[in-house]
Amino acid sequence: MEKIVEVKNLTKEYKTLKAINDLSFEVKKGEILGLLGPNGSGKSTTINCLLSLLNFQHGSIKIWDKEMRPDAYDIKAKIGVIFQEVAVFEELNVYDNINYFCGLYITDKNLRQIYVEEAIDFVGLQDFKKFYPKQLSGGLLRRLNIACGIAHKPELIFFDEPTVAVDPQSRNSILDGIKRLREQGATIVYTTHYMEEVEILCDRIIILDKGRILAQGTCDQLKELTKIEEKITVEVSDFPQKLIDEIQTFSNVLQVRYENNHCVIIYKKGKNNLEEFIDYLKHHHIIYHKIFSERPTLNDVFLELTGKELRD
Amino acid sequence: MFWHNVKYSWKVLFHNRVLLFWTFLFPILLGTFFKMAFSDIEKKESLDIISVAVVRSSDYENNVVMKEALTQLSIEGENQLFDIIYSSEEEATQQLQDGDIEGYFKFVDDQVQIVVNQSGIDGTIMRFVIDEINGRKKIIESLVEQQIQDRIHEGNWDGIMEPIIEEVKNNVLQSKANIKDASSSNMSYTMIEYYTLIAMACLYSSMIAMFITNYKLANMKAVGKRIVVSPSHKISGLFGSFVASYLVGAIGLFLLFLYTIFVLKVDYGNRLWPVILIACIGLIAGQMLGLSVAALIKSNENTKTGVLVALSMFGSFLSGMMGITMKYVIDTNLPILNLVNPVAMITDGLYSLYYYESFSRYSFDLLSLILFSLLMIIVSFRGLRRQQYDSI
Repeated sequence: MEKIVEVKNLTKEYKTLKAINDLSFEVKKGEILGLLGPNGSGKSTTINCLLSLLNFQHGSIKIWDKEMRPDAYDIKAKIGVIFQEVAVFEELNVYDNINYFCGLYITDKNLRQIYVEEAIDFVGLQDFKKFYPKQLSGGLLRRLNIACGIAHKPELIFFDEPTVAVDPQSRNSILDGIKRLREQGATIVYTTHYMEEVEILCDRIIILDKGRILAQGTCDQLKELTKIEEKITVEVSDFPQKLIDEIQTFSNVLQVRYENNHCVIIYKKGKNNLEEFIDYLKHHHIIYHKIFSERPTLNDVFLELTGKELRD
Repeated sequence: MFWHNVKYSWKVLFHNRVLLFWTFLFPILLGTFFKMAFSDIEKKESLDIISVAVVRSSDYENNVVMKEALTQLSIEGENQLFDIIYSSEEEATQQLQDGDIEGYFKFVDDQVQIVVNQSGIDGTIMRFVIDEINGRKKIIESLVEQQIQDRIHEGNWDGIMEPIIEEVKNNVLQSKANIKDASSSNMSYTMIEYYTLIAMACLYSSMIAMFITNYKLANMKAVGKRIVVSPSHKISGLFGSFVASYLVGAIGLFLLFLYTIFVLKVDYGNRLWPVILIACIGLIAGQMLGLSVAALIKSNENTKTGVLVALSMFGSFLSGMMGITMKYVIDTNLPILNLVNPVAMITDGLYSLYYYESFSRYSFDLLSLILFSLLMIIVSFRGLRRQQYDSI
């Protein structure tokens, strides 16, 4: 598959701090690549370097096989960016904002008018064309932010945490929109610290921490990196310590913990763990309120790789 | 792309009510305030002839320029400003105590002391007149010196003194007329205030330029990041924004001129076009100052606005907006400050249009403003064309 972005040994330092440390990765045509990491892991810095907004000390960035530079206008013309902060003019209404930014790429007035209308339809702001940003809710504002970044129909789109501080309904709408963009042929780089988003959206994921790549691959490939097979959580008002100690000795159990009336058993292998555990509880006359089983998440992968939670 | 930028920069500026207030309304409100505060004072000033005494002394007799100027200002007629009694210091003191005179002039070496019973408008006018004559005196002296140099260079000593004395006389006469103007309704304290008001309006337009430039800088606004990552050329975009902000500033200035001429009845004399020209060039200087502050100060918009307001107000203060004496203090003691103060350049240019027949001082001020603008562009160019940053 054609390489759209090629990053080699990228290093960005702020005085003594290495914000990006020897980063190398590729983005292939038509895929959604997720950059997942906690705050401060270097996601936005990576995007800003890719866009030539930030300078960097080492490495190279090629987009469409050409070196990315501040004056690479031919490359910039095919890129769209949705920044983490809402990047619109407070003084312009929805239509004018989209029209202005689209006009930086599309000079033909008639074509631009069509593109702007399409972008407004795409993000569902038809009823808000004459509204000013201050009159829009947080979710609608985010949609306007997206419309301003995609109106010129870019082939490569960078989304930098577009769903931060967005209500669930707007978040779903944004994620659906991104999927549709991919279906229309766009290549997408998506940064977030929400693991659920990359799981449902991204073809490939790069997990970043402290400017380094911890792991990369598809969601399933990443989950295979963890020793965890299954996680069972049972809500129980009292769980004797001797049972905890006993469960810990089972060969397929990796870890048991009991806190806040919840007992969590982490299995490293086994196929009928839930059924067997329910039998075990019955056998010991333990009355429980709720019990459920989970597959390992990317947070578990991150936890195992770094010893800390992704949300920390 | 250029006109696209002009159009939308214009829209952005015209939707910012705070900017519109400072650009359009504030100078008009300030002008109205000046009118209310000073118009009555002026009427009173222009009607009264002040009774003063001059203490006769050898220092007085030697101070040819001052002596001639005071004599001219005491001749009966429409230009008369003083009713002068010549006396000894004791007599003058007695006359002052008796209320026969408002004050007296005492000459000590080159200096002129003004003695009044209590501070008031008459004392202020006496001080103003002396300052004015002193200001002219320097020009006359340099003129005399230049003419002597020229004649010596030509090797022609014949008749040197006659034309010089004639020149001095003409200048003294001119000074007299100007001084009279300066204390009459034609040319007044308030005119200096209006001149600084125009200059301040030009400088206040720096805020428009700063505001719109911030939108083009990736390290200032998120919108700036979006613009920088687009394929539009930054300098072209900046130029488009500048054109828009200049037009907005020019409209503000135009409204100020209309308001002061037709509502406040300010008389800018018979040289309105040169007045407008220097205001337009001053507006460029103001805009360039805004551009520089936007590019050079790595801080938020409020700080930049604060810096510009401070620069504008301080510049206006030094040019005489809050007290006419300050202009003379700076002109006399620290003229170099006027070379870095665009308000002073504009005020002085307008002032010179009124005071001098010749355009030389006006042209110098105009040139200074152009050089100031160029300097501002040069110092801010690197920051403005920059597209990559160490951090954002």
